[in-house]
Amino acid sequence: MISYLIRRTGLSLVIVALVIVALFLMIHLIPGDPVSIALGPRATPEAEARFIEKMKLDQPIYVQLAAFFGNLLTGDLGRDIFTDRPVLDLVLAQLPNTVILAVASLGWAIVIGIPLGCFSAAHPNSAADRITGILSVGTIAVPSFVVSIYALLLLAIELRWFPVIGINDEPGLWAQLRFLTLPAFAVGLGWVGYLARIVRASMLEVLSENHVRAATAFGLPRRKILYNYALRVAILPTITLIGVGFGGLLSGAVFAEIIFTRPGLGKLIFDMVEARNFPVVQGAVLTTALLYVFALLATDVLAAFFDPRMRQKLS
Amino acid sequence: MAGSALTAGFGALGLSSSVLLAQEGSVLRARIQRDMEVLDPAYMIGAQEMAIQYATMPRLAELDLSGDAVTWKPSEFVTRLELASPTRIEFDLKPGLTWSNDYGEVTAEDVVYSYTRQLEGDWAKRWAAMESIEVTGTHSGAIILKHAYAPFMTVTMCTGVATVVCKAAVEELDEKRFTLNVPATCGPYYISEHIQRQKLTLSANPDWSGTPADFTEIECIVVEDGNAGELAFEAGEIDITKIESASIPRYEENPPENAGIFVAGNLQYAWVGMNTEHPKLQDIRVRQAIQRAINTDSIRQIAFKGVAAEAHGIVPPGILGSRKEHGYAYDPKAAKALLAEAGVEDLELSIVTINNNRERLLAAQIMQQNLAAIGVTLNIQPLESGQFWGYGRESKGDAWKDSQLWIMRFGGNVDPSDYFQWFISEQKGNWNWERWTDEEFDTLYTKALELTDEEERREIYMRLQEIMESTGAYIWLNHEPEAFLYSKSIEPAVDPTGVYLFADIAPA
Repeated sequence: MISYLIRRTGLSLVIVALVIVALFLMIHLIPGDPVSIALGPRATPEAEARFIEKMKLDQPIYVQLAAFFGNLLTGDLGRDIFTDRPVLDLVLAQLPNTVILAVASLGWAIVIGIPLGCFSAAHPNSAADRITGILSVGTIAVPSFVVSIYALLLLAIELRWFPVIGINDEPGLWAQLRFLTLPAFAVGLGWVGYLARIVRASMLEVLSENHVRAATAFGLPRRKILYNYALRVAILPTITLIGVGFGGLLSGAVFAEIIFTRPGLGKLIFDMVEARNFPVVQGAVLTTALLYVFALLATDVLAAFFDPRMRQKLS
Repeated sequence: MAGSALTAGFGALGLSSSVLLAQEGSVLRARIQRDMEVLDPAYMIGAQEMAIQYATMPRLAELDLSGDAVTWKPSEFVTRLELASPTRIEFDLKPGLTWSNDYGEVTAEDVVYSYTRQLEGDWAKRWAAMESIEVTGTHSGAIILKHAYAPFMTVTMCTGVATVVCKAAVEELDEKRFTLNVPATCGPYYISEHIQRQKLTLSANPDWSGTPADFTEIECIVVEDGNAGELAFEAGEIDITKIESASIPRYEENPPENAGIFVAGNLQYAWVGMNTEHPKLQDIRVRQAIQRAINTDSIRQIAFKGVAAEAHGIVPPGILGSRKEHGYAYDPKAAKALLAEAGVEDLELSIVTINNNRERLLAAQIMQQNLAAIGVTLNIQPLESGQFWGYGRESKGDAWKDSQLWIMRFGGNVDPSDYFQWFISEQKGNWNWERWTDEEFDTLYTKALELTDEEERREIYMRLQEIMESTGAYIWLNHEPEAFLYSKSIEPAVDPTGVYLFADIAPA
């Protein structure tokens, strides 16, 4: 298990390094003049010169890349070219917002989606299963930004139950929840349907296996079979899915962050790409890549914890 | 917490939180479009920071917006500011103004230090006319100009670059410059909090001896997206926000409760430019044909929904040198005749425009129809902003060689010289994408900078626009407004360039 963890961690670091290299290349492939975009079209020549020097735009890409990795080894992600703030501070200031949004979005989706999938699997082809299926596919099909906009218009603008701007600087849990509810609802809604469908399919597959049939033949209670035996096996692909989803949400909740003006890593990357603030883009993408591979690693460990076969294989 | 509970209670009763704020009269929430970056006047990047500079640091002059024409007036930080001669500006600081953090009184030394360091900063060009600056007393001094320079008072002294910093505090900094960590402030407000990418809070300065601040706090809330800003306003979460001109008709027809629209100025200027050196456009008759074929009035009404002011040149209404009419008219017949006279048939042209501006894309489509009516095919090329701004500049690549037509919009200041500086000969291939030069234009431009007689300057700026128009390379489009949606619980104050004047915003 330990050697497996070491191998996976090493592989993860290689992935992160490749991500950074790809990012460097992509940044330099973006059309347009980064100086004009960053400083505005009519920036003074002095400011332009300072920008080029700070960004090392006058140096070859490999030199910039080497400098970035060199700084990285000392824990330095560089500095924001405009404000001169450390990129690490900027990223760390945004990170909690994104993690909270991702956890809340997936959290409520798990709480609703998994029982819904179990219920559907326990009552296959019933009217309730069909209604659940239609609703699940419906929620998967509606993009989160559409849900965000409608939720915003109805619940925040019309009814004024929730705030529009996602700045949660009021103290107290209720205040935090008020700011979090709409974005988490919008991001998590699709996941409810997604998880319900995955759990249903896995459960149906497991329920048709011999050990479940044997348990039924021995007269074990249906509820015990479903939740103690079948779900424990059926949850494995769901755990992997949640892990991937969590990793994706750390950088992919950008629509919700933009629509709800909620600070976060996704929005930070989006804004900084637009502003061509490359040091911040690199630092933020590096962070999301690290989080992503960490989420995948945690998923594998969790899957091994739930699945004795995998544990045995790894050891 | 109690405040939010009260807000929720009023919300339940159907009262907007804006109304509630008016009653409290203490917190102003203004939307800003991006986080603040650099407040150091010598190295600032954008205009947005000026709103914070004006509220938290001294300056000698400010724009006088009370009359028909925008001019300058002494600020609250001085007891006297006057042009002793065309090249000598004398000032007396108000005694007793103190810097924060125990840096003592604001003195003439601070002014001298601030303006001298500008000569080494990113905005040195704005100070090119300054010969020297001298201290004549603890609170008094004089700025000496190399020659008379008409825009100095408005374009230099009334903008962020003339913000005074505390000499002692800045000298203590390692690099002798700062970004957001202003080492000492002096003004009606001070920066009490900055949450990265969320908001910057100004609080009333208890040590301020001038006109008291009207709000205990001003929250500058970062909302990048314009639509999100409008929604936040409608939900009562902000009290003032800039809106796109395209949103003005919607809000005029159906205004949110207790809301008003405030147009701060029309200092934007948009035009269709043509590359006079391109083989397809070298013949002035072809350019004049295009000038006459495009119906700018329908563009203004349809694409810009009738909210932008009509343009007759580059100088906007209310600025010295603004024209009342221009020298060509929409006349497709005349356009066809000019093309025939030039012997041009089956002409195919391309126009570039920035891809994230719906109004300009729609304008390009209208031009496409207009030109089709005279037998000219117009292809539209929307470009991402980075590509667009480098399109006609020789320093940014070779795209300028193929450039034909473009929709361009610049923003200007309150002095007419600001509008013409981009078209002098040395700007050919830089911002003069139309690529013409004219000796008379250059001479008059320089002469007008040194004139103090307004009428004489007006005549020159009228003539400069005639010269531009005579190249056939310009079709004047419009002057878009700087518009703000505000809660009627406040009195808005924004300068014509769209910068909040926080010290002047007050509860209604």
